[in-house]
Parts: sequence; C-alpha cells; structure tokens
Amino acid sequence: MSLLHMLRLDSLLRSAILATGLAALGATAALAQAPSGEPVTIGVSGPLTGPNAQYGAQWKKGFDLALDEVNAKGGVKGRPLQYVFEDSQADPRQTVAIAQKFVSDPKIVVEVGDFSSTASMAASPIYQRAGLVQFGFTNSHPNFTKGGDFIWSNSVSQADEQPRLAKYAADLGFKKVAVLYLNTDWGRASQKIFSQAAKEYGVDVVASEGYQPDEEDFRSTLVRVRDAKPDAIVLISYYADGALITRQIRTVGLKTPIVASGSIYSPKFIELAGDAANGVFTETNFFPGESRPEVQTFVSKFKARYKEEPDDFNAVAYDTIILLADVMNQYGLDRKAIRDGLAHIKDVPSVIYGKATFDPETRRVAGARAVYLVIKNGQFTLWDGKKPSAT
Amino acid sequence: MSSFIDYTVNGLVIGNIYALLAVGLALIFGVANLINFAHGSVYTIGAYVGWAAITFLHTPLPVTMAIVFVACALLGMAIERVALRPLQGNARIAPLLATIGLSFVLDQLVQLVCSPDPRAVPSDLPNWRVAIGGVSIGPMDFLIAAVGIVSATLLYLFLRFTKLGFAVRATAQDREAALQMGVNVNAVNSAVFAIASALGGLGGLLVGMYYNHIDPAMSFQATLKGIVAQVIGGVGNVPGAILGGALLGLTESYGIALFGTTYRNLFAFVLLIVFLLWAPNGLFGARSGISAEPLVGTFVAPSRPVRLPRWAVAGLTIAAFALPLASSSPYLLQTLTNAWLAAVLALSLTLVAGTAGQISLGQAALLAIGGYASALLALDLGLPAIVSLPAAGLITAALGTLLVFPAFRLRGHYIAIATLAIGEIVSLVILNWEGLTGGAMGLAGIPPLSFLGHDLDSNRAIYWTCLSVVMIVALLQTRLLSSHLGRTLRAVREDEIAAQSYGVSLDRYKALAFAFGGFAAGVAGAITAHLYSYLNNQTFDAQLSLLALTMVILGGMGNVLGAIVGAVVLVGLPELFRVAAEYRILIYGVVLLLLVRFRPQGLLGTV
Repeated sequence: MSLLHMLRLDSLLRSAILATGLAALGATAALAQAPSGEPVTIGVSGPLTGPNAQYGAQWKKGFDLALDEVNAKGGVKGRPLQYVFEDSQADPRQTVAIAQKFVSDPKIVVEVGDFSSTASMAASPIYQRAGLVQFGFTNSHPNFTKGGDFIWSNSVSQADEQPRLAKYAADLGFKKVAVLYLNTDWGRASQKIFSQAAKEYGVDVVASEGYQPDEEDFRSTLVRVRDAKPDAIVLISYYADGALITRQIRTVGLKTPIVASGSIYSPKFIELAGDAANGVFTETNFFPGESRPEVQTFVSKFKARYKEEPDDFNAVAYDTIILLADVMNQYGLDRKAIRDGLAHIKDVPSVIYGKATFDPETRRVAGARAVYLVIKNGQFTLWDGKKPSAT
Repeated sequence: MSSFIDYTVNGLVIGNIYALLAVGLALIFGVANLINFAHGSVYTIGAYVGWAAITFLHTPLPVTMAIVFVACALLGMAIERVALRPLQGNARIAPLLATIGLSFVLDQLVQLVCSPDPRAVPSDLPNWRVAIGGVSIGPMDFLIAAVGIVSATLLYLFLRFTKLGFAVRATAQDREAALQMGVNVNAVNSAVFAIASALGGLGGLLVGMYYNHIDPAMSFQATLKGIVAQVIGGVGNVPGAILGGALLGLTESYGIALFGTTYRNLFAFVLLIVFLLWAPNGLFGARSGISAEPLVGTFVAPSRPVRLPRWAVAGLTIAAFALPLASSSPYLLQTLTNAWLAAVLALSLTLVAGTAGQISLGQAALLAIGGYASALLALDLGLPAIVSLPAAGLITAALGTLLVFPAFRLRGHYIAIATLAIGEIVSLVILNWEGLTGGAMGLAGIPPLSFLGHDLDSNRAIYWTCLSVVMIVALLQTRLLSSHLGRTLRAVREDEIAAQSYGVSLDRYKALAFAFGGFAAGVAGAITAHLYSYLNNQTFDAQLSLLALTMVILGGMGNVLGAIVGAVVLVGLPELFRVAAEYRILIYGVVLLLLVRFRPQGLLGTV
C-alpha cells in the first residue's frame, strides 16, 4: 500500500513540477517585461473583521484585480506592485497603531484607507507628521483631506453627488420628497447637501429621518414618512440598509416611488430587496452597461475572475490601485514623490470619473461620471426618460 | 389620530421580535442567574443555519424551523457543557465574562464560514396582508407572535407544573439546596440552555426571513434589545419577557412618532432606566422570585492577590519609561500608548467595579464626555491642553457621577444593565445634540497636545505623557486603597447593609469612587481626542466598555497593577495576532475563554 502511495505521490510531484515549469515558461514568453526585483508595497488599513468586514472583502476583490492588471503590464518602474492589508475593524484605536506600523516601515510607499471617517481621521495626524500619503477612497467627510497636504482622496464628493440626485428627483417630476438617511458623517453630510440642492431645483423636502447603521425596523419611520405625504422617498443609504428599507416600504403597502443615492448600487441591493427593488430610481458613478472602455475592461475582467457583477466598492478599490500605480510610474516610488505626483497627474483613466485629475487645493477629484438608472425586472437599466405617473 | 393606531401596531410588531429574544434570555437568567451575552450570537447562528437549509436543501418552513431548533438546542447544550459548567462554583462574574468571550468566538466563526456579506433569507410564506388602520400585518408577524406567545406559555406551564420544571425552579432558587434534594443540577442547566438557545436560534431565523436580511454583525444589537426587554418584563420572568418586549416596541414606536427616528434608541434606554429606578423587578416585580442579589463575595471572585515585590514594580516602571530610549519602533510605542490610555480607563473601572463593587458596562461614556469636553474647550474657547485636560477630568467626574447617581440604589447585575443604558444614552445624546457636538459629523481639527507652547508630536513625548498619567492615577489609587477610604469602599462592596449599619453613607462613598474614576477616564478621553484630532459618536462605543470590563476582570478586580496588566495584554494580544488576519478576533476570544476557565480571579487576583 505504501508503495502505491509513494508511486502516486511521485508521479503527482513530477507532474506538478512539470506544470509549474511550463507555466513559468509560458509566462515569460507572454510578458517580455515581467516585473522583477523588490516588490513595491502599498499599506492598506481597512476592516476585515467586525461590523464593516463586508466592505473590506469587497475592497480586496477590486485591489487584486487591479494588481494583476498592473503587474501584467510590467508593474511599477519594472518592479512588482503588492499590498499588505492590515485589519483595523474600522476602529480608531487600531488604525492609529496600523498607521505607526506603516509609517515606520520603509517598504510602504503609500497608505490606502481606512473605511469610516471615525477610523481614518484619527490616523491622519500620524500620516501627515510622517509624510506618508494617506489615500482614503471611501472618505467623503468634507474635513478628511483638510488633515494636511499628505491626505488625499478620490472618494466621490457628496458636493458633486447629491445635487445630481436632487436633479434626478426634479427631472422625475417630484415636487415633495421625504429623505431617509444613514445617520453617520457620510449620510448626514449628504442629506444636508441634498436638501439644499433640492430647494434650488424646486423640490420640497417634507421630512428628513436619520437612522442608525444597525437598525432593521423602519415601520414606524415609514408612518412618519407617509403622513408627510411626499411624492417620492429619497434614500441616502448603503446597499444593505437601503434594501431593508425598500423592502419594508413595499411590505407595509406604500406605493410611493423611491429614489436612492448611487451608494446603493450593487447587485446585492436587488438580491436583498427582492421584488421591492423594481421601480427604484438611482444614479451611479459606475454602471457595467456603460460603453466607456475603462468600464468595459473592468467589468469583463471582474466577471471572468469572480463570476459575479462588480459593485461600487469594487470599482473604487480598483480605480485607486490603477491610479496609484500610474502616479508611481510617472513620478517615482518614494513617499514624497507620490504626494507631489498626485498633485500633478492628469487624466488617469478611471471607472468612476472617466478621467481623474486632482484639485491640488482640495486634494480631491471632481466630476464623477453619473448615469440615471431604474431597476426593472430585477436588473439595473438606464432610465428611459419616462416619468412615473403622477398618482 | 389614525396614525396613533398605526404606531401602536408597529410597536407591537417589533415588540414581538424583542419578546422572542427576551424569553430565552429570561429563562437563562432565571436559572443560571446570568446575563447571557452570547444569546445574540446563537440567534445569528440560528439565522445562518436556516439560511443554509433553505439555500442548499430547499427545505420548507416547518422543516427549516425544526432543523434550526435542534441545531441551536445542541449548540446551547454545548455552550453550557464546554464554556459554563466548568466555571461552576466560581464567582458569577466568570460565566458573564465567558459569555462575552463566546460571543466573540461564535460571531467570528459565522463570519469566517459564511463571509461577512449580508444574505437574503427567502421565506415561502403566502403573501396576504391584514390591514389594521393605515398599516398592515402579514403571516410572518403572526408566526413570530405565535412562536413567542406559545413558547412563553409552554415554558410557564412547564416550569409551574412539571417535575423537571420544579427542578428548574428549585435550581434557580438555591443551587446547593436543590443539589442536596437530589436534583441533577447539571441536567437542569443543560436543558435550560437547550431550550433558550433553540428559541433564540428560531428567533434569528424568523427575523432574518422577516427582513430578508442576515449578517454576522446582527448579534450585538439583538442581545442589547433582548436584555432591555427582559429587564422591563422582570429579570428572569418568562411571561414578563413577552410584555417587556411589547412595551419596549411601543415606546420606540411612539418615540419615533413624537421626535423622529434618530431618537428611537434613546427612548428605549430611558425606558430601561425608568424601570430600573422605579420598578427594578419589572412589570411582574411583586411575584418575581429574584430578590436583591446577595452580592457578598460571590459576584467578585475572592482570592489572595499576587503581591509583586516593590523592587519588581519599580523595575517594571523604570523599564516602561526607558523603553522609548531602547526601541524607536513607532508601532511598538503607539501600541503601548494605546495600552496606557486603556490602562487609565481600566484603572477607573477597577476602582468603581472592583473596589466599590459597582459593575459598570458604560465606562466608555466617560471617555466620550472627557474627549468632547476637552475638544470643545480647545476648539471653542481656545484653551491650551494644560487647562483643558484637567478641566475635562473635572467635568467628567461631575457629569459622570451625576448620571449614575440615580443608579446607586441598584445592585449586582442591575447596576451593570443600568450603566450599559447610561453609556448608550450618552452616545445617543452626542449623536443628536448637533449644535454642541456636531452630531454624526463629529468634531474635526482638534489641536494636538501641547504644553507651554511646545507641541507634543513625537511618539516618545506622547508615550511618556500617557505613561505618566497612568503612573499618577495608579499611585493615587494605591494610596486611596490603603487608606480608610479604600477599606470603606471594600466594605460597601462586601455588604452594603453591614456597611450602612456601621454608619457608612453608601451614596457618598459610591459617589467618591465614581468621581475619582470619572476624573481619570475623562483625562484619558481628553488625551485621546487630541491625539486623534477627530471625534464622533462612534469613537468610544459600547464595545469599548465591554473591553474595559474584560481588562479589569483579567487583571483582577480592584487590583491596580492588574488593571494595567489587563490593559497591556488586551491591547497587545490583537496586535500580536495581527499576522493571523481574519482569525485574530477568534483567537482573542478563545484566549479570553481559556483565561476565564483557568484563572477566574484574574491574573493578579482580587484586592
């Protein structure tokens, strides 16, 4: 028996060696300039455990896809690009420790993350003092980049996003809306900007209700909303909570149309909300159906690799790595060069922005692309311009 | 006015769900005298077992429910057997801590196995709705109500009229006496955990279907609301849990009606405080079997503290101060700085909980008060840190003591629940008082620490500052413990009535303990605020309070050196396990369980 085992093992080993050899040969043949040498490392601080772990998992998919692409094209300055992901649980007490770890590790040339503003902004002073770029790509808090000249973000500014949502509501012919918003810094900031923009477009905000991230029951909130008699309900939510609310709106029998901010854009939204998702209007920075080449390459690669549709978090994570790789290739690999490069780089191809360029004053990118969508038969589809009937 | 009916119906609908959670918690509390913090985790696991059955086996609802029921009953028995039974005879704080450790382990396992993504749980119930006023209820509402009411009724009958029920109640009243009368106490406990966990798991499944949404993070909120509901109903009272759930649901619903959604939980916790103060035995107080808990020496593990020789303490102190000279690793210094700040929090808690016997689950609120106080003084009045830090300490001492003052008449678990609620109330007030605190947007641009015009921005300077604060607080606290004050506080802990009959004014001494603890925690919060430069309502959350209590128990209740050791260990462990990435919180939970199992009096023992 043992002989048989050994024989099998032997042949297995041999074929394995053969396979690796072949693969290596194939790889070198295909890529004339495969990256070599010491890898260049990006430090990622984000949640892999704890209540926000799902977002960290989404990031990873976007990062990995982008890294493959960068490294297949020869890496950065001929060296392979990689990242180390430190789990912070989006907890400020852990992000500061991670920040110290990164700033003192000479291999880290730029930092990416964290998820929430609470966690990210606690670490900003450390990155700023040490002169390592903190690149927050989900940080829409208006004060995030004010932390210093090493704090940058390509997160879509709510000052861009929310007026567009308000315009969509106006274009749809709604005069009175009720807003339900996630009561975090992101949701509250968005809600303020939305309300102001809505006024300018002649849309009345008749009710504003903030809810906590871990809330599941919205029935009583919806009675308040119903009593305010809006033409439409506006959701400033992420996909999970947005789906919960959408479902409950329909379950309690409200027929009011729903307009949701682009942050709900995820196949998961439709899965979780079920039939209730049909008819929801939303706009998004990124839509797989869009014909722009950046979008199409991203979507087809993502689907091929993960067998699922990408969502907003996948897209911003992907964009971030592509952008940073571009900065490194053009401006160099040391920490300060990357900071300076971010200020100078122009028109980086981007899934979210089309072409991304930073405003060196605000250290943010303006002009995210957006398309109007409506959900039909369980699919996100481009809005056909039809207004919902005025009942 | 028609809306009033709608709010009432909605309140009862959500109250249904709370009731389902509260029944299991009440059963366990009634028998094992234990707040089961792992109940929410069992609820989550029930939801996931159901999800797996539906997704992979395509089971119809009754079969799914049966599978969940059996799986969670087995899980409950396993929890009782593996994690809790070995702790019998130890102080009651040990099983409490074990359930906290278990909840970490179970939640993390769910997340590792099922991924953190939320999942949809389809239900095959028919789609009809019954309209009541302007709202409607569906089959799932009836099912949840039926499960809650039927299980509570059956449990009530079971406890009242069956032989095993007698045994359960006998065990609840007096474990030793029951044992002497020939009751198989272990079998009783096992049965109770099986039933409670099965109900909890079923609750998770039904709620998951109700919302078509489950995720691994749903357990903490479930535990919290279940605890509130069962306290309102009368701790340990099973039928009371149903009414408690309903009352909690109604209060939240009316709260939303009157003030808006952001005030929902504020109402829930205020209701809890009102009940604790005016009817601590809950709605069914008069008939509740649980009288004031005998806290005497049983809640806190009695033990002989480990006495480190003076030279060793001095040596460790010098080593701690000298460390930045030997190692310049910013990561190490930052981790230890975090540990020092946590140590100040643990010192404040060990005084309140260990020495004075007032177990607080809301200690993080003191950090928040201190942090916001110092940040606002610096931002709005431009005060320098040398003024704003002590001012923050004084404000925290005053405000913190004032907030818990009404809870001084409570004991044991009740004070733990009350402080948990007070902690949540502070955090919700911060969220809603936008004019002062910036609400969810928080306070940004808090200036860095500076003394006499010099910014403290090097890692070493910050490290030494925080370590010095720890040392000062520790020295003061050691002095205090060996003075008559310390003895009096311990007397209050051991036996309030005896202390009172010796002429000790309980309120005054408890207030002293809270004020001293509040000052220390306030300063720690203030330093944190200046280091982070940004604060919002999530910076100091309820999880941090739990962590602080864990540190205190780990080090040994009331033990000054123990609190510092506990803080260093619990801040350090997750960092050490960083290489384990997704597994690190799991490992942390397991380590915690092992510590509780093998050293329940803490590393350095109770003082």
